[in-house]
Amino acid sequence: MDFEWSEDQREIVGAVEQLLAEHAGPARAIALDAEDAYDHELEQALDEAGFLDVALAEETGFLEAALVVEAVARAAGVASIGASAIVAPGLLGERAEGPVALARVEDAAVVPIAAHARTLLVDAGDEARRIPLASGDAEPVRSGFMIPVARPRMELTGGESLGPGSGARLRRYWQLALAAEASGLMAGALDVTVEYVKQRRQFKRPIGSFQAIQHRLAICQAGVQSVHWLMLEAAAWDAADERAALAATRAATVAQQVFIETHQMTGAMGFTREHDLHVWSMRLQPLIAACGGPAAHPRAAAQARWGV
Amino acid sequence: MEFAWSPEDLAFREDLRAFIEAELPADWEEISKGGPGSDAQAAFSRRFCAKLAEKGWLTQHWPVEFGGQGASPWRHAIVGEEMWSRGEPRGQQYMAVNWVGPTILQYGTEAQKERHLPLISSGNGMWCQGFSEPEAGSDLASLRTLAVRDGEDYVVNGSKIWTSYVAHADYCFLVVRTDPASDGRRGISVLLCPVDLPGIELREIPAVIGDRYFHEVFFRDVRVPATSRLGPEHEGWAVVTYALSYERVGAARYARAALALDQLAEEAKRRGSLGDPAIQERFGRALAAVEAARLLTYKVIDVRAHGQPPTADTSLARVAQTDAERSVANLGMEIYGADALAYGSWAEVYFRMVMWSGVAVGTTEVNLNLVASRMLGLPRE
Repeated sequence: MDFEWSEDQREIVGAVEQLLAEHAGPARAIALDAEDAYDHELEQALDEAGFLDVALAEETGFLEAALVVEAVARAAGVASIGASAIVAPGLLGERAEGPVALARVEDAAVVPIAAHARTLLVDAGDEARRIPLASGDAEPVRSGFMIPVARPRMELTGGESLGPGSGARLRRYWQLALAAEASGLMAGALDVTVEYVKQRRQFKRPIGSFQAIQHRLAICQAGVQSVHWLMLEAAAWDAADERAALAATRAATVAQQVFIETHQMTGAMGFTREHDLHVWSMRLQPLIAACGGPAAHPRAAAQARWGV
Repeated sequence: MEFAWSPEDLAFREDLRAFIEAELPADWEEISKGGPGSDAQAAFSRRFCAKLAEKGWLTQHWPVEFGGQGASPWRHAIVGEEMWSRGEPRGQQYMAVNWVGPTILQYGTEAQKERHLPLISSGNGMWCQGFSEPEAGSDLASLRTLAVRDGEDYVVNGSKIWTSYVAHADYCFLVVRTDPASDGRRGISVLLCPVDLPGIELREIPAVIGDRYFHEVFFRDVRVPATSRLGPEHEGWAVVTYALSYERVGAARYARAALALDQLAEEAKRRGSLGDPAIQERFGRALAAVEAARLLTYKVIDVRAHGQPPTADTSLARVAQTDAERSVANLGMEIYGADALAYGSWAEVYFRMVMWSGVAVGTTEVNLNLVASRMLGLPRE
């Protein structure tokens, strides 16, 4: 056991953060959202620097990939990095042509980033399917959740089957990826909220000095930290089913709580496009809905642990 | 980062499990229902700890010169997990090895170390904690029990309350006010006080959580040798804070909760309710809470293993442990239904054991205060 980052991990995260300082951030996320755009430039920059290959590289693995995904989300990068850096390598054993979108047959109506993706990986129950996407294969749908979404124009039961049992493999890596993204987004949302309550004065004192605020933020902090470590442990164990499901369980639950609390504490200001909170908070919702939703993960964890 | 146990740690855990299996009597489950403070468990624990000490496993995380092996805090964490998942056969001794010993190591004089550490590491010195007072609970620094210096002694007057395990203790880790003119954190000192001194009286407070958990301890002109003072006079608050940082996560409550949840899942299977997706969801959520508590506690142990000073991670972990225990206990009551109402039923025993989790060892509110100020940097009023 050792919770300290290795030299290599420190270097990887330092390097990706340096890249993100240039290619991501709240202002950029807000500008992209105004045009319902996907950050192809960010994905390309991450790809060229090798950050999408760390899961399958010789010296690194899913733990390092999870750290990268978490960092991108924390920097509010508008790119589906969890799918390209974790899910595709985990499911296929190789990279997929990106951007990569993820969908379930059961709730196929609206799929995040489908209009911008080149590969669609589908949870079709027992098996997973890979469908190549071309421009025009999905019809953009308006959304307020800070990530472009679209309605695929094809049946999701098409494309190439990845074999019996591949559905479970897809779900495990999807659960890990959504936990990693949620971990970064929640850290970002909590950071700006903590700053806000330190500055915002009402009743002649910072609202962050009220215990009613402090305790709820401390509970959020406990939740976010628990997601961070559950997610990293699941990554270190290559998304072994019980662990990935537990990370996703916690991620979806805590995300709902963090969304409510950060918006409650930032008041009306937090609901404006002039405050940065929404670039992190709104994107939690697509993650909460992902991979079967918040009730599916704990059921999967219970089934894996107790064989029911 | 490494989330796997080393082969040596895994082998140690196996050896330890085999040892526990061999040492626990057939009626252990019945004995352990009384909790660490019960007469039956206290008697067993003394024998058990002596055997554990012979194996060198009671205080292996201590320095070699004081009866330890200089082992990593992770080794001691493994001991904690295995003990707590078997009903804590060390009884109240877990307190002495977890936090009393380490605090004496940090602040004790050579004479104090020589006197107390071998007693603990051999499984003999039993301790209780003299912190809370009727008017000083969460606001511990408002304590009033007074120790006035008189020659070679302190003369102690006052009372402590909620003291667990005092009935079987040899010593009390006693926090007193040595400067009568002071209030708050200044003017406090710690005394390593034998509990059989003249002038000390006990009264058990009957409690719904079980027998021998709560006591009042009265001090009337009790003469405690000044050489028993741990750390500098009037500067005992730092000693208290140090002790608490070890105490708050010393007990591997998540390990007990994990075992309880596995047992409960078996029971739910037997009752035919684990096939219900809604019940599965509840079990999955409880398991996530337990695993979250485990990892947040590991973070605290990791800080210790790297030789860094304690952080507010301790409070975060303690809050998570309470959450985990409550999740499992509530689920237990739900699965057992009306059967849980019988005293001694599995669900009742676990519920009773953990229902004061948010109050023991510092309330959840105090821990949240510490996270807010030390980790989030939120302002005081």
